[in-house]
Amino acid sequence: MRGDRALAREIQGEIEKAIGEQPAVSVRDGIARLRGRFPSHQAAVDAGLLAAGFDRIRQVVNDLSFPGKMRFRTPRKVSDELTGCEFDVVVVGGGVIGLAVARELSRFDLSIALFERHNDLGMDQTLHSCAMVHPAIQADYGTLRWEMNHKGNAMWGDTASELDVDFERIGTLIVAENPEEEALLPYVLNEAVKHNDPEPELLDRDGLDRVEPGLASHVSKGVLIWNTGIISVFELVIAYAENALSNGVSIFLDTAVTGVHTEDSAIRAIDTTRGTVKARILINAAGLYADRIAQYAGDRFFTLHPRKGETIIFDKSYQPVRTVFAPVSLATEAQDSKYTKGGGIIPTTDGNLQFGPTAIEVCDREDVSTTAEGCEGLFEKFAPLLQRLKPDYEKPDKGKVITQFAGCRAATYKEDFIIEPSRKVRGLIHAAGIQSPGLASTPAIVERLREIVEEDWRPATDGAFNPARRRKVRFSELDLKTKDRFIWDDHLYGHMVCRCEDVSEAEVIRALHGPVAARSLDGVKRRTRAGQGRCQGGFCMPRIVDIISREMGIGKEQVLKSEGKSYVLSGRTK
Amino acid sequence: MEVDVAVIGSGPAGLTAAIHARGSGARSVVLLEREEELGGILKQCIHNGFGLEQFKQDYTGPEYAERLIQDLEETDVQCFLNTLVTDLSPDRVITALSPEHGAIEISAGSIVLGMGCRERARGSIGIPGTRPAGIFTAGVAQRFVNIDGYLPGRRIVILGSGDIGLMMARRLTLEGARVIGVYEIMGYPSGLKRNIVQCLDDFDIPLHLSHTATGITGKERVEGVTISKVDSDLRAVKGTEQLITCDTLLLSVGLIPENELSQQAGVEISAATKGPVSTETMATSVPGVYTCGNVATVFDIVDHVAQTGATAGASAARYVGGRLNGDVPHVDIVPGENVRLLFPHRYSFQGDLLLFIRAAEPVEKPVTVEVSPPGSRITRPYARPNEMLRVRIPGAKLAEVRHPLKVSIREK
Repeated sequence: MRGDRALAREIQGEIEKAIGEQPAVSVRDGIARLRGRFPSHQAAVDAGLLAAGFDRIRQVVNDLSFPGKMRFRTPRKVSDELTGCEFDVVVVGGGVIGLAVARELSRFDLSIALFERHNDLGMDQTLHSCAMVHPAIQADYGTLRWEMNHKGNAMWGDTASELDVDFERIGTLIVAENPEEEALLPYVLNEAVKHNDPEPELLDRDGLDRVEPGLASHVSKGVLIWNTGIISVFELVIAYAENALSNGVSIFLDTAVTGVHTEDSAIRAIDTTRGTVKARILINAAGLYADRIAQYAGDRFFTLHPRKGETIIFDKSYQPVRTVFAPVSLATEAQDSKYTKGGGIIPTTDGNLQFGPTAIEVCDREDVSTTAEGCEGLFEKFAPLLQRLKPDYEKPDKGKVITQFAGCRAATYKEDFIIEPSRKVRGLIHAAGIQSPGLASTPAIVERLREIVEEDWRPATDGAFNPARRRKVRFSELDLKTKDRFIWDDHLYGHMVCRCEDVSEAEVIRALHGPVAARSLDGVKRRTRAGQGRCQGGFCMPRIVDIISREMGIGKEQVLKSEGKSYVLSGRTK
Repeated sequence: MEVDVAVIGSGPAGLTAAIHARGSGARSVVLLEREEELGGILKQCIHNGFGLEQFKQDYTGPEYAERLIQDLEETDVQCFLNTLVTDLSPDRVITALSPEHGAIEISAGSIVLGMGCRERARGSIGIPGTRPAGIFTAGVAQRFVNIDGYLPGRRIVILGSGDIGLMMARRLTLEGARVIGVYEIMGYPSGLKRNIVQCLDDFDIPLHLSHTATGITGKERVEGVTISKVDSDLRAVKGTEQLITCDTLLLSVGLIPENELSQQAGVEISAATKGPVSTETMATSVPGVYTCGNVATVFDIVDHVAQTGATAGASAARYVGGRLNGDVPHVDIVPGENVRLLFPHRYSFQGDLLLFIRAAEPVEKPVTVEVSPPGSRITRPYARPNEMLRVRIPGAKLAEVRHPLKVSIREK
């Protein structure tokens, strides 16, 4: 179309003006495609973002090459064990979205399989998220991200109690430090209202003391957006998985999707590293690889650009704040920054404070390495702020940082979620480009996905569906009498293997069995918290290696830290 | 259950404290140990050099522990093994868990804290990079090798020159692993001189001072460690990075007294020593709660640890016997010239003062340790940050002191 060509030229001109490089640009059905050689990864990303900035561009496919570009390698096939299996629905991706949608669809009389490439669930964005249920104020008004954010946020109370997962609405507190900032608070309040965050409160000093005691005397006013929540994110993963399994979903770990077969533009079969299965509906919840899955199915209309976030975590003995805490200066910075949310001071349900995450474009989707700049930067950004605003609390100390981690966000160039049925392939449904606030949005996203399936396939309801899941007892939370009773019932409850988090041998053994069993040291850590405390496994690691070896019936030299060839030990001594 | 004295931890400090508490008149003493055997970290220290001063013998760790355990067995001290203390209240009620006894509460007339220390991990020193398998603290590696009989890796870089790291350099070399080098951020080693000689020099393992790790690579298992030089502010110097191929990184970068229980009991913790603020009787700020060994401050040799254990045990017995008051007048002991660390923190006029001192900077020539008042001067052949200076000031000399004691180290 002539209009498309003109638009392509316009985009090309814009990119050349801003970056000084001229890509080949084509536009079709609102999809811009960029090709050519660019000098750097950042330039290629910037070009994609510029193209996405055009209103008439719906998505961007970025095929620009640059030095150091990673080539995607299809995972090797390991077996044919699944060939011949047939499902109504295949969900690709065992992150929180994939698990939640699998569970949601198990309300219907459908056979459902979920494929996860890792040896555990929630290993990419989910695990690396800041475990926060965001308020909607930070999402761009009117976007799908905003819509899912505010709807999802409101649903979390019910969802968390159904799944019996720790969830607490601690609120975001935005405080003013001077008269100019105070003057901005009514604006913040209006924004919150406009974004559908319910009943934000303008607080005077008394109100502030109630919500966040010990603030510096120069702080006199603030806004509380109370619906901000924190959630125990790995418990959530396990909860969704357990509930999905008990409602008949099949979960396959260590299983990557390597191809999609269509017939008459409809989903027919899915290739995996463990064989080819038949299916009618394919839910693309593949996170960092959702564009790859779309391509397999012949529906390539977006490219993801991984954006890394680094986070630092403090020891439980350092808990200076009760809320997600932001002075106006920080909150307005986050609003100005189009592509990041700037990171924050975020408590967790386990009592470990986080600083982060940062936001840096990277070319490798698997890049989860931390950097000196990232971690130092977080400390330098947030530590002085806490010291200034909470002067009576102990000084932030780098020595109290117990760990750092990083993860990549699966951003599209439009920076919005894609939750829709494919326009080309019947049966293909995308839940792609889900990045922050994906966790907050999850209940709304899966509701939307369910509606799409209902509308297109009219599945019958499964009368046996039970949404409730109860979590296992956490021994450390019991009172002394009950602990005593537990130990008399099973003496391994009295054998504490992790002293920082008070985890018993019985709980480690439990984590290694059952429907979503841990298969590694990290798997045990995620399920029990053993090794997540201040000594970071210094005490419990040899003990847990012992227990894994015994319970899984493998030699100690076979015990893995995480997956692949991550052996903890390298063999026997002489 | 009610007892006169409860000792938490059965390493060299706790064992000695229990023996001395019983020997000093406590009628009932219990010793609580979270592992299945007594001895604490001594069990995995199969090298020699233990008890040179105390027993005039060159024991290995397990032999040294055995010697103490024999002494303990001659008493009626009751040992609870596999028993983890989870709570400690200011009025000296201990809550503990054990497979054999269930959840128990012990009310003690006095308590000796002997929980020892833990190793600093990667997080607190913030080495950036990936998070693969193959990163261990030196003590964890020591346990895998000496107790479990497994090797942590084959090509090893050791960060930090703490004693356990030095021990492991030798141990792993003897097991056929290749130790590429030991990298220390400071300009001087943090381990003992004798360990540098016996564990590194004798095996041609290089020690690189003023170097640190600035990166870790490898997705599943460690594939390399980036080492950089540091400047005088201990900051990595850009452009000095070198990537060392290895499959294992051992961290021997410091020990932290394990005072979570002490803090539950309301014990005041010193920012300098990271242990309870203590007097010469090993009394903490909470009446009836005493401290000893590496939970008090990280010591250099086991003989010093045991010495504080003996004092703490005897004091705990005297406290329940009503012969030692929990709330006595005291003067502070404060660091002066070239003193990085001092233990104890206070003098409470209960006899001789045994001072443990770490120098801030090494002085490789004779020094005078000056304690003023009362103006005592004691000569030592050198002062090194990695070796504690120990001086005894007679109680008689201190009886009239009314001002803080200032301790300095000066070149003679």
